[in-house]
Amino acid sequence: MTSAQIRQSMTDRSVNSHPARVATAPSPYPLPQGEGEDIGQARPPRRPTLHRIPLLRTLRDGSGFDVVLVLCAVGYLLVFAAFPLVYTLVMSLQQVDMFSLASFDRPFAGLDNYRDVFARPEALQILKNTVIFVVLSITFQLSIGFGLALFFQQPFPGATYIRGVFLAGWIMPALVVGAIWKWILAGDFGVLNYALASLHLTGGKIFWLSDPDVALFAVIIANIWLGIPFNMILLSVGLAAIPRDLYEAAEIDGARAGRRFLHITLPMMRSTLGSVVSLGIIFTLQQFDLIAAMTKGGPANASNVAQYWSWQMSFETYEISAGSVVAVLMVALVILVAALYVRSTEREHAA
Amino acid sequence: MKPAKPFILLGFALLFAAIYLFPLYWMYVTALKSGSEIFAFPPSFWPTDPQWQFGRIFAEHAMDRYLWNSLLIAVGTTVLATLIGTGAAYALSRHRNIWTAVALFLVLMLQVLPPSLMVTPIFVAFSQVGLLETPRAAVVLAQTAKVLPLYIVLCRSTFLQVPRELEDAARVDGASRIGAFLRIMIPLARNGILVVSVLIFLQSFGEYVYSRSLIAAETLQTATVGLSSFMGPNTNDWAGIMTYAAIYVTPILIVFALLQRRIVSGLTAGALK
Repeated sequence: MTSAQIRQSMTDRSVNSHPARVATAPSPYPLPQGEGEDIGQARPPRRPTLHRIPLLRTLRDGSGFDVVLVLCAVGYLLVFAAFPLVYTLVMSLQQVDMFSLASFDRPFAGLDNYRDVFARPEALQILKNTVIFVVLSITFQLSIGFGLALFFQQPFPGATYIRGVFLAGWIMPALVVGAIWKWILAGDFGVLNYALASLHLTGGKIFWLSDPDVALFAVIIANIWLGIPFNMILLSVGLAAIPRDLYEAAEIDGARAGRRFLHITLPMMRSTLGSVVSLGIIFTLQQFDLIAAMTKGGPANASNVAQYWSWQMSFETYEISAGSVVAVLMVALVILVAALYVRSTEREHAA
Repeated sequence: MKPAKPFILLGFALLFAAIYLFPLYWMYVTALKSGSEIFAFPPSFWPTDPQWQFGRIFAEHAMDRYLWNSLLIAVGTTVLATLIGTGAAYALSRHRNIWTAVALFLVLMLQVLPPSLMVTPIFVAFSQVGLLETPRAAVVLAQTAKVLPLYIVLCRSTFLQVPRELEDAARVDGASRIGAFLRIMIPLARNGILVVSVLIFLQSFGEYVYSRSLIAAETLQTATVGLSSFMGPNTNDWAGIMTYAAIYVTPILIVFALLQRRIVSGLTAGALK
């Protein structure tokens, strides 16, 4: 069935079944009392007067019930997610610091905060770091995750079980992951430096967390580790959905593995890849705990990224307007990526 | 694909998994090492003189208090998200029209907001209305807003799998909408709801940004904040830190290992549909 047909059949059902329901069960009963009744037990007494109150009837028997349920959740999200969003925007245009924090009437600053943030000497570096952080994280998470997904697609004993073991990395609190990596990457006693040295890959010890040239890459390594399982599992799902007979037909036609990958796997995976990349960008821009645990953005902002910078300004130096400016810009970026993601999944369903 | 060499593949699979899980192994091994052994270079890959310092670290760093606070916040978040989200997930699974599309889009958009950016306005607004007087409750409210969209999306795909005919049958027998929802739909979707709840529980148990920013009193802090203060600028007690980390994550890993298969299927169903 196409989605249009499904929609059609759904509307048919609701149109047809509703009068039937009213005919068989004409017992409009006020909602609170109806809660505890047992199905199939004696019907509640008729209350013809209440029957005429459409609001109660739709709550008990109609789609008013659904509307109330959705409104509870949407209302919560409006108060605790959408309102803060608007509030950041407002604060980014105001002068907010420790003194005006509690007041509702703060001086209006217009776009001065934005100019101030962009004029800061660290702004350009942090912007650059954020781009490097996202691009490298996504590239390696995706390629390693894709490689592992393809590998575990092959039939061998224990494939699904061993693949599941990888998710241990995904469920770990990111702060703990950051702590472990900080220890692995330690300069003098770190096990990674030892491994690199014994493989003769590096001349001396790399001071991963205190050398400004590599601190950002240290955080990226940990973030790649954290993102691999998620990428791998989503891509595995996409791979499993490709019909086997496509590969069989290609094999009969004499296509080699490389060509089968290029001409079947990649085109069939396009929408999955799109989703995984956009989700990866979203999660990478949410990454805070790793940086807090490993470098705190240092040394001298060498590993600082926008989402951490915003928090630092708000909670360490109490420049709340400046923190809000960065938050507004980053949230706008994240929402843009998310909108692209939702649109791509919708197109996938329409097809 | 040739059916040959499955055991070579198995060997490679084990190798990949071992490389990937090395950080976890390293955490446990370091936790068992003595204070001087951790600074050996080359490092030892098996503790020569295993130390059992879990009890000492647990007591010295007041982990009972930290873990209790984490647990309170995780339970509070899970309960609140389940109460608010289950009904919405159910209602959004029943209809397919422009309004549910709008609601789902809104939910998806609010799911992606980075907590480290949202915490600034939440902190200011909460301090203005006095919510920071009860900081753990404030974290629960903020964290619920963070996980609720994910809960709704994953739970909705569970409800989509429940045959609608069962609900219709109950309605024909005279059940009200809420009766059919509570007595038919929720029991049938129970397993899915449970798995999604465990997932958001585990996420909230490792929450850091909100706890760090909204909770000022040290006695109310969570285990993540405790760990990060343990890792102060001049710390060298990596055996202790890894012991702390091991105590903290082992229960998470056990719960996850038990429910792994189901969590994976629930997660993948929600993320791509």
